[in-house]
Amino acid sequence: MPAEQNHENKKETRVAVVAAGIVSPLGAGFEATLETLRRARDCVSPVTRFSVEQCRCTSAGQVEDAWLAGAVPNDRRTRRLHRASRMMICALAELLEQAPDFRPELTIVGTTSGGMSFGEQYYRALQQPEARAAKFPEWIANYPPQKPAVDALETCRLASPCQVIANACASGTNAIGHAFECIRSGRYERILTGGYDALSELVFVGFDSLQAATPEKCRPFDSARSGLVLGEGAALLALENFAAAEARGAQILAEITGYGISTDNHHLTQPHPSGIGPRQAMERALQSAGLAPEAIGYVNAHGTATPFNDAAEGRAIAELLGRVPVSSTKGMMGHSLGAAGAIEAVLTMLALRHGFLPANLNFRVADAGLDLDIVANQVRPAAAPLAALSNSFGFGGTNASIVLAALAA
Amino acid sequence: MSLHLAGLGWVTPLGATIEEVWEKLLGGAEAEASTLADSLGERSCQAYQVAPASTAEASRHPRLRRSSAISRFAVVAGLQALRDAGLELDEASAARTALIFAISNGGVIYTKRFFHEIVKSGAAAASPLLFPETVFNAPASHLAAILGLTGASYTLVGDGAVGILALKMAEDLMANPELDRCLVVGAEEADWLLCDAYRHWRLIRAAPPLEPFAARPRGMILSEGAGAVVLAREGALTLEQIHPGGNFARRSELARELAVIARDLQTGGATDLVIASANGTFIDAAESAVSANHFAGAAVYTPKPALGESVAAGALWQLICAAQALRRQELPPLLHAAANPGLTTARIPGKNRWRRAVVMTCGLNQQVAGLALRGD
Repeated sequence: MPAEQNHENKKETRVAVVAAGIVSPLGAGFEATLETLRRARDCVSPVTRFSVEQCRCTSAGQVEDAWLAGAVPNDRRTRRLHRASRMMICALAELLEQAPDFRPELTIVGTTSGGMSFGEQYYRALQQPEARAAKFPEWIANYPPQKPAVDALETCRLASPCQVIANACASGTNAIGHAFECIRSGRYERILTGGYDALSELVFVGFDSLQAATPEKCRPFDSARSGLVLGEGAALLALENFAAAEARGAQILAEITGYGISTDNHHLTQPHPSGIGPRQAMERALQSAGLAPEAIGYVNAHGTATPFNDAAEGRAIAELLGRVPVSSTKGMMGHSLGAAGAIEAVLTMLALRHGFLPANLNFRVADAGLDLDIVANQVRPAAAPLAALSNSFGFGGTNASIVLAALAA
Repeated sequence: MSLHLAGLGWVTPLGATIEEVWEKLLGGAEAEASTLADSLGERSCQAYQVAPASTAEASRHPRLRRSSAISRFAVVAGLQALRDAGLELDEASAARTALIFAISNGGVIYTKRFFHEIVKSGAAAASPLLFPETVFNAPASHLAAILGLTGASYTLVGDGAVGILALKMAEDLMANPELDRCLVVGAEEADWLLCDAYRHWRLIRAAPPLEPFAARPRGMILSEGAGAVVLAREGALTLEQIHPGGNFARRSELARELAVIARDLQTGGATDLVIASANGTFIDAAESAVSANHFAGAAVYTPKPALGESVAAGALWQLICAAQALRRQELPPLLHAAANPGLTTARIPGKNRWRRAVVMTCGLNQQVAGLALRGD
């Protein structure tokens, strides 16, 4: 296994994923998610939470409230919480079912907007003179972006300091990557990591105003790609010092073996067309893992389906890794922003453990400028263990890649 | 691993250089409040704002032409901290520098403007120019671009404790020997919308003064600006301990959570100074009790009556005050504090030099953190 080779050489602390939890447009929990992923089902649907009448894009990947109801306690406190908090509670509850004794020394998660829709409700209410102020404190208290993470810890009775990274769409992968480095350095034994975001009108309209969102299907890496659709969800991973996890007989789902981060200063919202940002992040992740490019057997791409992102990322993948199998799962579920990196890490881990590569949905015609081996529309068989790269890139020029090796289920 | 403060920078409502503001604080000055109001003048509040002249340096950068005030504050404070550390980054040194940005409310002015158009005129009126500036990591992105940083850049969100959480993250990052330094910046901008929200939450008062440690908390005065520190492997002041922080579910649990941190920081030796985050709200009582119980005899100070509550920038301002007090062996007067037998408010050391300062930060939204700084 490549990761073992690496660690024989580098003698660094290895980092295991000992449990995970997920809720996304594909479903809530491993079982539902795996089934949808295997069937490569399109989970993008018309937006119902707010008016999209004046938007070009009218669809998104959405989490059904009914999925959350069972996992989240129905008491006075939790009824006030934001949907993002409910998603986090749902994901954390699943993780703790797998690892009931997991007690993180630190929590590092990513988000872009936290409880944004409460802020929207508050602002709308301020514009109406007859608005009742009774709900205001509740909205204000539950609006801050870090609140869903703190709420989930509290609900699940975990006490842990909490660092919430807001590096735009790279946040989730940055969180996992930084958590990985914290354990690998020997400073921590157990870290809870992941990401969350819930759909909000402000963000939805924002991407629409930039014409980054598509009125059609989301077609990552397709020659006729016309933009992203948004999504939502939460995913969490329990990371632990590999040797400690092994010694206590914990199940090990996967191993995180590398992390790379880069900053592309070209533009606030657009990558440098050369793909230098994504390329540096992937190169650094490989270097961190001690792997040669040939060792990578699959790339879960950021693949938002915007013309610029896919061109820059596709070029970087082709130049660095050659014709490795690539898919973006965003065609299936949309782009869940701060949650995307965490959700995609879990999807990659699940698929590889069960012997397949996830499909890149809505793919019709290859982009002549990108020499990529796209896992088009249907899943493809694969054998674990396999080293995979998972990419996330965001506004502000933040680029993050992690290397993970999933173990067979 | 030993981590040191190598450079300091701040932009505050009292000015924008370390010595200028420090002298004013020593002289007992406090910022002048101005009125922030919505477009119809129906909602207004008093807040401490940064004078435009304080960020004139930022206007030279094309990247900041359309940016919100928070980005300009951050850039000016960040550049100042690097200069204070004697650093001019080139490609090689930039590659060995990480940026950690602490933020709480973020670019609220542009966010409000962007959403206001949606509410007023519908989604079709939304501005594609404003939206990118509403993203939490926009200020960090501008600063990274101006400095030419191409490596690690993280924006952390949180409440008033986020500045110290960012320092903790920097400490963890510096375990990587490929990094020589971390620039940690906290920034915030003030707006009537924030004041209004805090008013509904009963945490703000209509007008100054901000009275810390009062028996009956009357609320804070909001402010804006940025604080920045360069953390390096050498320097005269050592970040001896950074507690990773904690969360409190209810206000009644704050003192207990803060005491856990204080006990941990106590293990590092005698503490001469406590730089508190007391801001005229419920957190003051907890900080007062913990100071009395765990750091008895230490001189207690909070800069917030003079500078206001600037949330994410506030913790960095506290750290800078701690550093200045250890360097200069002098504290500014604690303004508007009622006599409190549990609190020592000495302005200069007694028999021995001040060698160790504890910085405590309690956020208004469940986060709490602390650190200990040691002078030579």
